[in-house]
Amino acid sequence: MRAALILALAVLVTAACLLLALSRDAPQHASLEPPLPKIAPAPEFALTSQDGAPVTLADYRGKVVAVTFILTMCTTTCPILTPMMSFVQDQLGRDFGAKISFVSITIDPERDTADVLQQYAQSFGANFAGWSFLTGTPEAIRDVAQRYGVYASKAANGDVEHTFLTSIVDPHGILRVQYLGMRFDPEEFRRDLLSLLKE
Amino acid sequence: MMYTMQDRRRFLATLSSAVAAGLIGPSNSVAQEAPPETTTIRLARNRSICIAPQYVVGGLLQAEGFTDIRYVMTDAGMGQSKMLASGEIDFTLHFSPILLIPIEAGEKISIIAGVHVGCFELLAIERIRSIADLKGKTVGVPDLGTSSHVFVSSMAAHVGLDPAKDINWVRSPSISPMELFADGKIDAWLGFPPEPQELRARKIGHVVVNSSVDRPWSQYYCCMLAGNRDFIRRNPAATKRVLRAILKATDFCVSDPAGAARRMVDGGFTTQYDYALQTLKEVPYNKWREYDPEDTIRFWALRLREAGMIKSNPNKIIAEATDWRFLNQLKRELKG
Repeated sequence: MRAALILALAVLVTAACLLLALSRDAPQHASLEPPLPKIAPAPEFALTSQDGAPVTLADYRGKVVAVTFILTMCTTTCPILTPMMSFVQDQLGRDFGAKISFVSITIDPERDTADVLQQYAQSFGANFAGWSFLTGTPEAIRDVAQRYGVYASKAANGDVEHTFLTSIVDPHGILRVQYLGMRFDPEEFRRDLLSLLKE
Repeated sequence: MMYTMQDRRRFLATLSSAVAAGLIGPSNSVAQEAPPETTTIRLARNRSICIAPQYVVGGLLQAEGFTDIRYVMTDAGMGQSKMLASGEIDFTLHFSPILLIPIEAGEKISIIAGVHVGCFELLAIERIRSIADLKGKTVGVPDLGTSSHVFVSSMAAHVGLDPAKDINWVRSPSISPMELFADGKIDAWLGFPPEPQELRARKIGHVVVNSSVDRPWSQYYCCMLAGNRDFIRRNPAATKRVLRAILKATDFCVSDPAGAARRMVDGGFTTQYDYALQTLKEVPYNKWREYDPEDTIRFWALRLREAGMIKSNPNKIIAEATDWRFLNQLKRELKG
């Protein structure tokens, strides 16, 4: 009887210690976040990078990749999104490029040539080891934007109206989450990217 | 110590949600998201520009696989709910109580998300400073049972008035109650964009209640996405795609109000760019993730009971006429 009581007490104390230890250990919290949903295979694309090289989504198999849509002439909201991604790029340290990449696709390919994208990327401190800025034919851009669920429309004066959408694709090419707008939490974004490396 | 306690609570909450979400091991397989079961979608179109996301959603619906997107003319009140129930339209963003009344009457409508708050403004003559001051005054409405009649009745009942006896309703189906108010023929009037914007620009009357900012009305969804129940049952993939497009359109209204206003003018939904832009800047379109849509159903069901317009328990309506599974999925898939 006494042995059973001691055993029960030991189990309770062990469980309490385990809970306390876990509650003090932030990295282990993160591992208990529900995994990101698996939405669907991410839409493929075949476009051209800022240095004129062909780039496809398949090139990123084995890496986590964030795919977003930009236009360099946008002076209101895009200058919020790209610096935020640049900030996250720096936070990712050695994982950036080796395990995690960013892809920014222009939705204004008539204006955003490879040269324009290169200058734009450099002005925001983009590290080309892990970050590509892509352009293509208007048809190819329209197609990929639509398949990712981005709305873009060019007015007669050349202005482009568009929605902001940043998608995270896992190393198997599966679309896992999308961020609406450009004011999302960069820490949550970074955490989601890293969570896919641990799966 | 408090920090530790809060962390532990958060840990336990996270543990619960992780278990609920199937943390035991994510499946390695992923199916291609099903295409919509139908490529035709019919949405309501009426004189209210408050439901802006519904008017700028076209391109996003195309991106979801819909090729035939139709706008069907409706009124902005009970007629629209009936057209939804009868299947003349598939989805609409509509004022919550105007959905609940026909739902209680057995109409086949399902509410699938709360989308935005606000829209309505009660404008009145100078000596009316509160809802209670409406006692014995004339209030213009297009007809009894319309959105404005139901909303003013609910507000009146909420402060202890008997809306049927204490308010002199002036029914004006042919002449806009806004014009009656502008001409000094009624004491108060409740409108939705673009009319309040127009009257404010003309400096006529003053705002007694603005449901975008005044509590409790601002704490609950004005407009919820509702669908024909049979359509939702037959077309779950299309339903999820419609909701996703509407939520993205709502975000577009927040992130680029000028662009959204231009889209509404270009699409022929309004001719008044300035009022559209003003509406897009004033109406809080950024709440779809924040508020619990069930709270809105409970709140409005109780207000309608106070006003003698329905008899049902809110929980009965929630059980029979809401379907949050699409919203719950999209809250995980669409962050921001």
